Amino acid sequence: MNTNSNVYTVIYTTIVVVIVAAVLAFVSLKLGPAQQANAKAETLRQMMAAAQVASTDELYASNNDAVLTMYADNIQDAYTINLKGEKVADLGITKDNIELISNLKPQDKAIKAGADATLPVYVFKSGVSVIPVYGAGLWGPIWGYIAFNDDCQTIAGAYFDHESETPGLGAKIKDEPWFREKFAGKKVAFGTDRLFSLAKNAEATGADNAVDAITGATMTSKGLNEALNVWFKAYEPHISVAAFLAGIADENSNAEEE
Amino acid sequence: MAQKLKDTILNPILKGNPITVLVLGICSSLAVTVQLKGAIVMALSVTIVTALSSLVCSLLRNTIPNRVRIIVQLVVVALMVILVDQILKAGEGTYAIDKQLSVYIGLIITNCIVMGRIEAFALGNKPVPSFLDGLANGIGYGLILIVVAFFRELLGSGTLLGFQVLPASYVPNNLVILPPFALILLGCIIWVHRACDKDLQEK
Repeated sequence: MNTNSNVYTVIYTTIVVVIVAAVLAFVSLKLGPAQQANAKAETLRQMMAAAQVASTDELYASNNDAVLTMYADNIQDAYTINLKGEKVADLGITKDNIELISNLKPQDKAIKAGADATLPVYVFKSGVSVIPVYGAGLWGPIWGYIAFNDDCQTIAGAYFDHESETPGLGAKIKDEPWFREKFAGKKVAFGTDRLFSLAKNAEATGADNAVDAITGATMTSKGLNEALNVWFKAYEPHISVAAFLAGIADENSNAEEE
Repeated sequence: MAQKLKDTILNPILKGNPITVLVLGICSSLAVTVQLKGAIVMALSVTIVTALSSLVCSLLRNTIPNRVRIIVQLVVVALMVILVDQILKAGEGTYAIDKQLSVYIGLIITNCIVMGRIEAFALGNKPVPSFLDGLANGIGYGLILIVVAFFRELLGSGTLLGFQVLPASYVPNNLVILPPFALILLGCIIWVHRACDKDLQEK
């Protein structure tokens, strides 16, 4: 048989490609649920690390089921908001309904385009609310979760992750606990031009909303700074309403005390 | 026959090592050797991909149209790489490692060792020797990867497989973590390899 004829070549390659596509489709279908479960557990780990539900080491030592149980035990409310700060939909607190990390990219685009974004808010029983941030690092996307105390301004905890930042430099945003720990206790300056500042020598100014950038990771730090400011800005309308409500609640309780 | 089979298996690991002698697959050996765990998973993945692609291409060798043979090989290699990637993503224990290796699992497709062995060996040999040749080349590649990663994790982080080995007073060397050091280390390994094996020395 002439394996060099045009007809043979076309038929042969077609068959090979169809078989390969079928195998891949089958495998993707079979493994999809397991991959989804892994991605979900990963998202929950990062979220709960920011919310200080458990230590990062403990979360990463727990298997997927334990992480899901931990989330179910600690979550109080989860919903999405739009850019005006209005509540759009309830995510429900069943473990099946969370926005995966992979869903943050389209939201990031929507925020920057001023289009319809649906931004998730997770309220934990301990009183902290967790929101995601997402942006571009040096080599690829970087993202994180920021937990706010019930005054809607003070950061309770943070967790950052990245796809491919330089190990030992940009990767420190994830690898070095001291970096994310620096965010705890900082106050985001909602209502001002500069919501948060992650920059060189920023801490020396003594500002409440400043954290020093990482030495040797200028682009990663800049990217994270931008991600924080863009996403904080997007959540600002919602958070200021929440803060207003929290303020009323405070006044009421004060009034009762008097 | 037995001698030939033995050569097929031992040659890629020692005298014809893909990294230290053929200098193939250098890119990934610099990129994924920061931690031992990642290097081991990468070594296993490459071994599986080279072995299986060599086997499949060898089975198809008499039917592949010569004009499109590279494309057909590439499709087979890509299939194997995607399968490995999907399986790593699905495993509960391997998900984190797959995330850490990120694009480098996908980039096995471009690893010269895989295509090189198919072109040079699998297309001209029976399936069983081809499978063993792919396997041995993967192991030869993996061995070097693990040796490099061992030193880089030990000196760069003071740990091995994530466990603290060196005393806490050891200051991790940041240069070791960066890719240039992997190249220096690789040079040293090639030097030692050549010093030990007289056949490899140029006259």
